[in-house]
Amino acid sequence: MKRRSIFAATALGAMAALLISACSSGGSSSSSGSTPGSTTAAVAFNAGLNSVVNPSSQKGGTLTFDNSSTPDSFDPGNTYYAWVLNFDRLFAMPLFTYKSCPGTCGLQLVPDLATDMGTTSDNGLTWTFHIQSDVKFEDGTTVTSQDVKYAIERTYDRSVMANGPTYYQVLLKDPTYPGPYKDRAKNLMGLTSVQTPNATTIVFNLQAPFPDFPYVLAFPNTAPVPPAKDTGTNYQLHPMSTGPYKFQSYQLNKQLVLVPNTEWNPATDPNAKQLPSKIIMNLNVNQADIDNRLLAGDIQVDSAGTGVAAAAQAKILSNPTLKADSDDPYTGFAFFAYLNTKVAPMNNVHCREAVEYAVNKVNTQTAYGGPYAGGAIASTVMPPNIVGYKKFDLYNALTQSTGDVTAAKQQLAMCGQPNGFTTNLAYRSDRPKETAAATAIQASLALVGIKATLKGYPAGSYYTDFAGAPAYVHSHDIGIAMGGWGADWPDGFGFLDELSAGNTIAPTGNTNIEELNDPVVNNMFKQSNSQTATANQALWPQIDEQIMKDAGILPLIYAKALLYRPTNLTNVYVQAYYGMFNYAVLGVQS
Amino acid sequence: MLFFITRRLILTVFLLLLVSMITFAIFFLVPRLAGQNAYELAAQYVGRNPTPGAIKAVEIKLGLNDPLYLQYGRYIKGIVAGIHYNNGPDVSYCPFPCFGYSFRNDQPVWPQLISDAPVTLSIAIGAAVLWLIGGVAIGVLSALRRGSFFDRLSMGIALAGVSLPVFFTGLVSLELFSYKWAIFPNVHYVGITTNPLLWARNLVLPWLTLAFLYAALYARLTRAGMLETMGEDYIRTARAKGLPERRVVLKHGLRAALTPIVTIFGLDLGLLLGGAILTETTFSMPGLGQFTILAIQNQDLPEIMGVVMIASFFIVIANMIVDIMYAVVDPRVRF
Repeated sequence: MKRRSIFAATALGAMAALLISACSSGGSSSSSGSTPGSTTAAVAFNAGLNSVVNPSSQKGGTLTFDNSSTPDSFDPGNTYYAWVLNFDRLFAMPLFTYKSCPGTCGLQLVPDLATDMGTTSDNGLTWTFHIQSDVKFEDGTTVTSQDVKYAIERTYDRSVMANGPTYYQVLLKDPTYPGPYKDRAKNLMGLTSVQTPNATTIVFNLQAPFPDFPYVLAFPNTAPVPPAKDTGTNYQLHPMSTGPYKFQSYQLNKQLVLVPNTEWNPATDPNAKQLPSKIIMNLNVNQADIDNRLLAGDIQVDSAGTGVAAAAQAKILSNPTLKADSDDPYTGFAFFAYLNTKVAPMNNVHCREAVEYAVNKVNTQTAYGGPYAGGAIASTVMPPNIVGYKKFDLYNALTQSTGDVTAAKQQLAMCGQPNGFTTNLAYRSDRPKETAAATAIQASLALVGIKATLKGYPAGSYYTDFAGAPAYVHSHDIGIAMGGWGADWPDGFGFLDELSAGNTIAPTGNTNIEELNDPVVNNMFKQSNSQTATANQALWPQIDEQIMKDAGILPLIYAKALLYRPTNLTNVYVQAYYGMFNYAVLGVQS
Repeated sequence: MLFFITRRLILTVFLLLLVSMITFAIFFLVPRLAGQNAYELAAQYVGRNPTPGAIKAVEIKLGLNDPLYLQYGRYIKGIVAGIHYNNGPDVSYCPFPCFGYSFRNDQPVWPQLISDAPVTLSIAIGAAVLWLIGGVAIGVLSALRRGSFFDRLSMGIALAGVSLPVFFTGLVSLELFSYKWAIFPNVHYVGITTNPLLWARNLVLPWLTLAFLYAALYARLTRAGMLETMGEDYIRTARAKGLPERRVVLKHGLRAALTPIVTIFGLDLGLLLGGAILTETTFSMPGLGQFTILAIQNQDLPEIMGVVMIASFFIVIANMIVDIMYAVVDPRVRF
C-alpha cells in the first residue's frame, strides 16, 4: 500500500511541476506580432505594396519558407505554379524576368540572362537575343546559348516534362519536334526553329508574329540547362543553378535546402540578392501551423503566397500591430461566372445582361472571403495589376453592388423572358468558397425570376470533362459556369486571349468557357499581333470592354491575399506580377 | 513455433496479393466503370492548359491505355523483379521491391516509403510505449482503488481522452505548448541520427497527443480486466498463502488480464505503423500517414498502391506477433 501511495504521489507531483513550469515559462509573442530582438520601426498596413519594408543589405541568417503543399516540380522547365515561378529565381536565370521593385514597376519585363529586349526581323517572325557572356553554372562552366536552346528543347517531350507551359510548340516553327530524349543522337540540338549562331546569340523563328514573345521567355524554362547534366525526371532533385543560390539537399516533398552559389555574379543579376546564408523550404506543413509559426517569427514566409487562413486572418485584422505587419495585394487572379453564349436562352445577350445586373456582388465577395481575404468587387475582366487595365463599370457592379433588380428585369423583357428563365449553374463542389459563391448567385438570380439549378463537379476534371467541354455544356444546358483565371503574363493578351478569343475554344480543357466568338474581339486580337507591345496597351482595355458588352463574363472579384510579414524579414515588398512577396531579394535579421 | 511462423508468412504473401488486387480494382477499375477513359485519367497528371498531344504522351508513358490485367501484371512484376523506367535522357532500373513510379513526380515509390517510414515508426512506437505503460498502470491502480477519488479522476480523464479527437488535442497542445508558451517551439521532424535530443523534443507533443487517446482506452480496458481477475478465487488463494501483494497483482492478476490488451495493442500498433494520419497531418510530420493523404489527394495510383501494401504488411505482421505473444503471456496457449 505504501509503495502505491508513493508512486501516486510522485506522479501527481510531477504533473503539478510540469503545469507550474508551463504557466511560468515563456511569454506570448503572438499578440504583439514582434520577434524578440527586433528594433524595426512600426510600418503600415499595405506598406509592402508600394515600398520596400525593412530595407537591408545585412547578410547571414537562415531564411525559412513553409508551404502547405508541394511544387509541381523544382525543375525550372517543368513547373507552372505561380509561387514556384517566383521561387525559382533563386536558382534559375531565364532570358527575361520581372523587374524587382514594388508597385506597378514590378510588372515591367526586363532582361535577365539576355542583354537586352532583343530585335525582331522578317515582319516579326524572327527574334534575335544575345545572352550575357559571363554567367556561370554552379560548377563554374560558362553558360552558352546552346544551353538555353536545350532548356527549351526539353519542354517538347511532354512525357517527361508534363507540367510546364506549352507555348513553344504553338508559337515556334517545327511544332512536331519530338524533344531531345527520343532518338537522342538525332534530336539533341535538333530544334530547327531555334538557332545558336554563336555562344552568346540565340534566334527564334515563329510561325506568326507575336509581340508578347519576350513574356513567354520570362518563364523559367528558358533558364539554361547543360545537356550533359540533364537527368530528365530526376533533374528536379538538383537543377544546375545560375542564380544566387544552389541546391544543397532536397528530400522530395519534404524539405529543400539552398546555400549560396559561389559562381553567381551579382553584377549579372541585379534583380536578385544573395543575403541569407541558408534558405530552407519546408513542404507539406499544416496551414494552421504555418500561420502560427509566421506570427511567432519561427518562419519568415508562407511560400504559397495565397495568404493566411481564416483563423489567422481574424487574429491579424483585429490586432492593429499585426495588421500593420501585413499586406493585402491583388494576386493577379480573378473569379468569374462564365455566361455561355451558345446555351439558350443565355445565347441572347440581353438575358446575359440580366444576369450581370442581377447578381449581388457583395454576397459573392463575402462568399469568397470578404474584401481582404477574398478580393475586391470586380467590374472588368482584367484585374488592376494587369498592364492595360482600365476601370469601367457597364453593369453597376460598383455603384449598385447588391444587384440592380430593375435593370435586370428590363433586360429580361428585352430578351423575351419577362418572368425569368431556368438554367443550370456549374461549379466546383470541392471548393467551399466557390460553392458558397454559386449559392449566393443562385439566390440573387431568383429575385428576378431566373431559376439557376446548381450542378457541382469535382475540381480535378472540371475543365477537362465538364465546364471546359462544350459538348457536355450544351447537352446539359449549363448556361452559367463558375471559374477563375490568372494570366501567364501581366498584359491584356496574357489575360484575355485564352478567355475570349474565338480560336481558343477547345473540345476539352476549354478556357473560353463562355464560347465567345465575337468578330470584333477576334479582330482586335489579330490586330495586336501586328503591333508592338507598347501600342497594344491601348488595345487591351478596348477588348476588355467589348467582352463586357458581349456579357460573356460576369466578373465577381479581383482576388486578394492577406500576407503577413514577420518583423525579422527584410527587403519585403509585393512583386506585382506574382501578387506575393518577391522571393528573390529577401533577407532575414539574425 | 517455427512452423507456425512459416505458415503465417506464406499466408501473408497471399493476403498481400489479395489486398493488391482489391486496391488496384478500386483505384484503377472503378474510374473506368464510372465512364472515365484512359485519356481523361491521364489529363489529371498533366499541367495547366495541356495540349491533346501532351495528354496522349502521358497516357502512353503511364501505360493507362493498356488493358487493366496488363497494368496489374506489370505492377506485380515490378514488385517481384523490378522494372526499367524511361526518365528522359536514359533509362533507370528500379530493383525489387519496386512499387512503381509516382504519376505526379516521376520518382520511385519505394524510396519515398522508406524515407517516410522512420517518421511514422518514431511517432507510433514512442506513443505506444507511453500509452501502454501509462494506460496499464492507471488501469491497474484504478482497479485496485475502485471507487476512490483517483479511480474516478482517472476514468474521467480517460473518458475525455476517448472522446476528444486527435486533431483537437493536437491543435490545442500546439497552441498552448508550442505557440503560446513556446515550451516546444517549431515542432517539426528531426531524424534520430541527426539530433537525438531534438528528435525526442519535437516528438513529445505528437506522442502525448496520440498516447492520451490510446492510454484512455487501455486504462479502461485494463481496469475492467483487473476487476474481473482480482475477484477470482486463485487471487484469494494467493493472498491467503502470504504472497506479497505486488506479486499477487502483477504476476497473477495483471498477467491474466493482459490477453485482450495484447490483442488490441497489436491491432492498434499495426494500424498506426501504416500511418498515423491525423497526428502526422496535425503536426506536419512527413510520415506514411501524410504520404497517404497526399497520394489520395493527387490520385497518384502507384503511391496509393504502395502505401496500402505497406500498411497491410504491418497489420498482418503485427497480428502475427500478437498471436506469438499469446503463448508468452498465457501458458495455456501452445502452437
